[in-house]
Amino acid sequence: MTNRSLVLFTVALLCAPVALRAQDARLDARLDARTRDAVVALIDSARAEGIPSEPLVQKALEGASKHADGPRILTAVRLLAGELGDARAALGPSSTDAEVIAGASALHAGIAPAALSRMRASRTHGSLTVALAVLSDLIARGVPGDTATTVISALTGAGAPDAELLRFQQGVERDIAQGATPAAALGVRAKSAFPSAAPLRTP
Amino acid sequence: MLDAGVLPSVELSDAALVDIVLKGESEAYARLVARYRDRYARFALHMLGNREDAEEALQDAFVRGYRSLHRCGDPARFGSWLLAILANRCRTAGGKRTRHERRFVSAEDRHYAIALDHPADASAWREEIARALARLDADQREAFLLKHVEEMEYEQMSVVTGAGVSALKMRVKRARERMRRMLTEGEDAPTR
Amino acid sequence: MHQHDDLDAMKRGDDVLERVVEELRRPLRVNTALFDARVMDEVLRTPSGLRERIASLMQPRTFRVSPLIALAAGLLFAVAVVGSVLYVLPSSPRAARTATRTTPGTAPGSPIVQFGFAAPHASSVALVGDFNNWDPKATPLRAASTGGVWSVEVPIQPGRHLYAFVVNGTVWRPDPAAPKATGEDFGEPNSALIVADQGMR
Repeated sequence: MTNRSLVLFTVALLCAPVALRAQDARLDARLDARTRDAVVALIDSARAEGIPSEPLVQKALEGASKHADGPRILTAVRLLAGELGDARAALGPSSTDAEVIAGASALHAGIAPAALSRMRASRTHGSLTVALAVLSDLIARGVPGDTATTVISALTGAGAPDAELLRFQQGVERDIAQGATPAAALGVRAKSAFPSAAPLRTP
Repeated sequence: MLDAGVLPSVELSDAALVDIVLKGESEAYARLVARYRDRYARFALHMLGNREDAEEALQDAFVRGYRSLHRCGDPARFGSWLLAILANRCRTAGGKRTRHERRFVSAEDRHYAIALDHPADASAWREEIARALARLDADQREAFLLKHVEEMEYEQMSVVTGAGVSALKMRVKRARERMRRMLTEGEDAPTR
Repeated sequence: MHQHDDLDAMKRGDDVLERVVEELRRPLRVNTALFDARVMDEVLRTPSGLRERIASLMQPRTFRVSPLIALAAGLLFAVAVVGSVLYVLPSSPRAARTATRTTPGTAPGSPIVQFGFAAPHASSVALVGDFNNWDPKATPLRAASTGGVWSVEVPIQPGRHLYAFVVNGTVWRPDPAAPKATGEDFGEPNSALIVADQGMR
């Protein structure tokens, strides 16, 4: 090993634990030792697979703040790590952490990984974060998954900017709050977004 | 500390609430908002024809009402004063936007029946009314709504709109005639 | 018969108008929590200089709250607590206006999101979420002058976030006006927030 690479190696060795330790500090303060060790191990292997670790740390801290027991926290972190991994696989290695996080919530809501991949393929530039987050929220509001996916995919495929997606979602929410069924609300909104398209069938 | 469930219900008059707000208790304004919100939302919606514009105009009117509250001449007539602000907002809002598609949003309590594939009779009727309203001049539509939906007297309408009573009567008459014609056209019209 | 037709037409027309007016008079249901919160948010953000001026125009400011005023304030939100979150886009006037008033936050330079929560009888309201380690001590909300609407502004990185409110240090509440977040929530529901990125399509 040359001197230079030795120096670099040493520096790298010294730097890595600092990042780990920062996270440890937050987890140390709030988790019991056994849970913390298990969570840290999970996070380490997640990070090794390119999965963003911050949401996992936050999930553990959330559990701690809500006084959940260790096993429940661990299960939650493991589940989230799995969803994040699936999201990364579906969205591709060049996806950002924010996209992966939003993608994981979409998967959790029941969207198929293939749908995520299709959205990635259709969105040639720009982030999918807002689109995926809007999709998750629509489904949480009761819009049928297929319908929501179709509409959001169509919007992103047509190049709708994030602002428009957010306005779309707010519009649907207002409609639902005023008594529309979620599917009808989506249908109405989709109609106004595509005035020339055939109206969506509402079940 | 008072518990919400234990308080007796006390209705404070508009004048009392305005007074409280002007003395510095801004939160009391929320009471006035709650008092007029639904009724004026109906007016704004029928004036502007779509929910987004109506909500924006209404929100704007309430905020302007707060900021110029010290200029409300007669706090007991806060409602009319606010409606005048709202009518004004609706007039400027109508002019600003161009929409490709004026969708009418139903005023039904529980369910939006928007005509998609299978319009129910009721929602088709609502759509028809909305289209007819939209085809009136803004002045006529405003006068028609104030007279027949808000059920105001002409003197009150004059305060709210700034127009004279005879002008308002004419607008209402014209609006009625046009609405009648638009909504009975296509039915068995008398042949001459 | 000609005349008869005219009269019939007129009567039909009047009937129609009656039905029209009946339809138009139907009450409208508004999402009151959301609307009221938005209005009151603007009202309470009226620059305090202006509010002072409004107040001083009428009477000298008093700092003692009379029983009548306390009663009125208590009646304002005599139902379940409500809240509102504003989706902030960097290009919106609100974001631009508040960007200069940065509060110490976890992500300086990020879009600033304002959270509002109405809890007139609470002694404290805190914001917790995946942007402040879910720590109820990290981000307390400020109460309005006589209790009622609590609020705070926080810089939050673009993306999807989970959050909730903690009332009086122990009671967890999601944001009623925001989308529910699905996923493991350890028995206390969360709300979801989307913060759009600056400059990205």
